[in-house]
Amino acid sequence: MPFVFQMFTRAPQGADMIAGFRPYMTATRLSGYQVELREIGSAVKEGGTSVATALSGPPTAADLNRFATRFPDFVAFEAQWGGIYPDMSGMMGTIRDNLANYEAVAALPNFTLFPWFFVAPGAILLGVLALGLVRPVWWRASRPALVVLGLGLVLAPVVFQMFSRAPAGGRMMNAFKTIETRARVERIQGYFGDMAVGQGAVQLELVPALRRSGLSSVEISSRYPGITTFDDQWAHILNDMTPMIGAMSDNVTKYQAVAALPPFPLFPWFFVAPGLLVIGSATAAGGAGRARRVRDARRPDIPSSQLEGVK
Amino acid sequence: MRRTTSRSLPRTVTLSALVISATLALLATSTATATASTAQPLNGLFRVASGSYFRMIYPGGGKYFKNPYSADTNKTYTLIVAGTGGGLRTGVLQPAPTPAFGPHGNSLAGRIIRPADFAGIDFGLATKGTAPAISVSGGRLSGQVKGLTAEWNNLSFSQGGPVTGSYNALTHIYVLSWSSLISGGPFNGFTGSWHLTGTFVP
Repeated sequence: MPFVFQMFTRAPQGADMIAGFRPYMTATRLSGYQVELREIGSAVKEGGTSVATALSGPPTAADLNRFATRFPDFVAFEAQWGGIYPDMSGMMGTIRDNLANYEAVAALPNFTLFPWFFVAPGAILLGVLALGLVRPVWWRASRPALVVLGLGLVLAPVVFQMFSRAPAGGRMMNAFKTIETRARVERIQGYFGDMAVGQGAVQLELVPALRRSGLSSVEISSRYPGITTFDDQWAHILNDMTPMIGAMSDNVTKYQAVAALPPFPLFPWFFVAPGLLVIGSATAAGGAGRARRVRDARRPDIPSSQLEGVK
Repeated sequence: MRRTTSRSLPRTVTLSALVISATLALLATSTATATASTAQPLNGLFRVASGSYFRMIYPGGGKYFKNPYSADTNKTYTLIVAGTGGGLRTGVLQPAPTPAFGPHGNSLAGRIIRPADFAGIDFGLATKGTAPAISVSGGRLSGQVKGLTAEWNNLSFSQGGPVTGSYNALTHIYVLSWSSLISGGPFNGFTGSWHLTGTFVP
């Protein structure tokens, strides 16, 4: 099975993916992204309303046109933000909603070990069977070992809480299906470029224009907290969001490798089913052997004289 | 007179043609020899001067990243100026300092270029691993800057690659350019396009 599903290459990528997302998959960090998006949203709203009014007069069509002519980069960003915010916020919400699912998957044994969970019992089983064939006498002694092996397989998913964690992993994989794609990552990279231009427009155009209108820095801060916060927090936003975009980008192929594995909810059954099979086979073989011995014991001894006649 | 002229002119033309042909042949031979000769390594400092810039191209090409903090009127060009080391050195490494970043992820790698504001955070350049190697042959530059990294926002991006350009041995003025696809990280799939110009100091 590990070879059929290419687990030796795919499972380690799953381990890398889980590790790659770990720094970002905390409630604090994920909430922080939403706060940052709201900060940008407030700045955009404020820039397009009260700041625009302050710089170009009451919002008549002509004034808005004048504002757009004076601050084309900001106005372009304002228009783009209408698409960026729901997309980014929705994505962050999806990730946030899957935090518990991620934690469940991260609590499973390291993905790199997964193929060995199948290979090791399989190798032991084959070894015991081979011994039984070479030395039939050992067969009876090896049956309890097989039962223990089977029990181990049946109990492993229970010990690792796979029955709850694996389906949680399945839900996370489904939720990330639309996030961990190259197209989506490139879209987010594009948003980053748009946001950079928008922030530049605030810091290099709107704020200086407000200063030229006679407002001091303190007055700008108190009257326009939205653009002030955006400006102040921009470096922090970049520090915070850029590595997350990097993690998303770096894990696209890893996600796809993991998605190509069998569905997560089936994983515990990949242990239980073979385990039951091994236990059943060992028990049945034991039962058959016992029946044969009983039958042999009941069969009367045939005198050698009669055997000679048969010959 | 006319006859004489008519007679002597072809001879003059023939002689001139011979001289010109011989000169051209000599020039061609010397140029060919120079081209065929081994490329001469330029070990020293490629001073970064005005006209040097960096551009970043979105994945798929066709669109350039706009850096609002660029000093150029066209914000897709981020102008770069010489750092404390004067520019790019060949044959030696110009590593990033330790720590490599200051507050807010501003790069402190200031030897090659003076850290420049890119989207609100300063980026710098450093070389690590393989030292840059550039040669000249027939006025053309070729070589590599494999170990070049761009340092920005607490991240280090490989921006190495083969370089091409031109070099005037008399004026020492050079032009170097190269492109480097960013692999991995937040700018995965973007291409950095570099253009350095200035004078070479052996």
